[in-house]
Amino acid sequence: MAIIDLQNVTYKYPLTDAPVLQNINLQVNEGEFVAVIGPNGAGKSTLCYTIAGFVPHFFKGEITGTVEVAGSESSKSSLHEWVLNVGLAFQNPFNQISGAKYTVFEEIAFGLENIGVPREEMRSRVEEALKLTGISDLADRSPYSLSGGQQQRVALTSILVMQPKVLVLDEPTSQMDPIGTREVFGVIRKLSEQGMTVVMVEHKVEWIAEFADKVVALHNGLVLLEGKPQEVLTSDLLTDKGFGISRYTSVARKAKELGMWKKDMLPVTLDEAVAGFKQ
Amino acid sequence: MHERLSYYVKRDSALHRLNPLTKFILALSIVLISFLSPWYWTAHTLLLVAIVPLCFVGRVSREFFISAIHLIIPAAGFIFFMQAFFQPVGQTIIFKFWFLDITQESLSFAFRVATRIALMISAFTLFLLTTHPSELMSDLTRRGLPGQFAYVIISTLQILPQMQAKAQTIIAAQHSRGLDTESTFLKRAGSLLPLVGPLVFGSLVEVEERAIAIEARGFTSTHVKTFLHDIPDSNLDKVIRWCMVVLVLITLILKIWLS
Repeated sequence: MAIIDLQNVTYKYPLTDAPVLQNINLQVNEGEFVAVIGPNGAGKSTLCYTIAGFVPHFFKGEITGTVEVAGSESSKSSLHEWVLNVGLAFQNPFNQISGAKYTVFEEIAFGLENIGVPREEMRSRVEEALKLTGISDLADRSPYSLSGGQQQRVALTSILVMQPKVLVLDEPTSQMDPIGTREVFGVIRKLSEQGMTVVMVEHKVEWIAEFADKVVALHNGLVLLEGKPQEVLTSDLLTDKGFGISRYTSVARKAKELGMWKKDMLPVTLDEAVAGFKQ
Repeated sequence: MHERLSYYVKRDSALHRLNPLTKFILALSIVLISFLSPWYWTAHTLLLVAIVPLCFVGRVSREFFISAIHLIIPAAGFIFFMQAFFQPVGQTIIFKFWFLDITQESLSFAFRVATRIALMISAFTLFLLTTHPSELMSDLTRRGLPGQFAYVIISTLQILPQMQAKAQTIIAAQHSRGLDTESTFLKRAGSLLPLVGPLVFGSLVEVEERAIAIEARGFTSTHVKTFLHDIPDSNLDKVIRWCMVVLVLITLILKIWLS
């Protein structure tokens, strides 16, 4: 059953002429991990904001079509109710720190304070969320004294603690070094394995190939391709339209032209490439 | 770098355990009484019988002493000299310097004003040393202060040092590209202009992102807020608050009655 259901969604930001999203149809099943890829200006972030309710509630502008999550419709709901369905985390971890709290524990409890969760439940939920993302040891630190990867995990934790039905992540590792990236991806993989529905915008195709159940390629506000990671990520269409593709795919494509790649399917990850060349 | 704008010292003391609002009212009433009281020695007395013992009750005497040296004594000293030299009252000249006269009256006036200022800074220093800013804001929110208002105050305390750090980074970046920040005053003032753009516009973008981030965590929720930390508000707190209100009123009545 689709937990996220977008039907013919077209959206224009205020004071602009061209729509950022055009006729988007997207269904995500419960527990599915969907990765969204696309060049700059493709509408990836806008798509995230749309699922998370910030389009149109926060950004205003014109929207047509319907956005449904867990059976309720975004336009008929108010933003503060909607955020309980959909958790949103985005690029810059620094800007996701509320600034109103002095420790990580308090920072994570911030959302629960806002929605009026009783103190005992709040404590146990925060502790549970800290354990889930593996940052219990940071609980008493100041959120501002942490590294980027740690801050992003704090931002993720403070969303998870709200127990959303769906998690929307807009390039959560874009400003991170390899260690930070691994930390954050580790958490996301764990969540996905535990049955969380995840929609994630991401450029790191090798990670996507490993994680995602489905890949959606956006281009100029339109869904260009949608399907299994292997199929979408190795498609010839991507190279022409300025998508970032895996270097292993590029190498294998060249090799195929020279007759050195025997398989039908091009690789995305190192392991696939190695296996293919060994044949 | 990650310094925060807070004087709070974490200790366990009777003063720390008081409700934040009680401490605020305590500090405010001490100041009000010293300004309203018709008696000359009120501020001096309060400094000795209220502030000094409270430093020890709050177990922050060392920190208080440090801020006394850095802030309270210089500020009060400055006020004292300004008032002593420039207050055109009295005839009994005791000291003459160029065109400046120090009279007995101006001296006694200056002593009183400077002590009041010292008392005022001391009272609020003590309040800040023993009260966690977020505890104060949670307490005020619980009492009906709008959450948005509390958020603005408390986040400013944390975000200002971050902005300072960012300004430093931008200056360093411009500097490394040959921007002159070390010659004449005018040139230096002019060189601050390229800083304004990135800092201000950068901050505006950040504000939008931060608004989304806190909104995603139910900031505008219509539920009644709860609080992670229990904020003490004992009967002792209520007694102290009412006593201070009554004392201020008595001083006010005395002032009106005697003048």
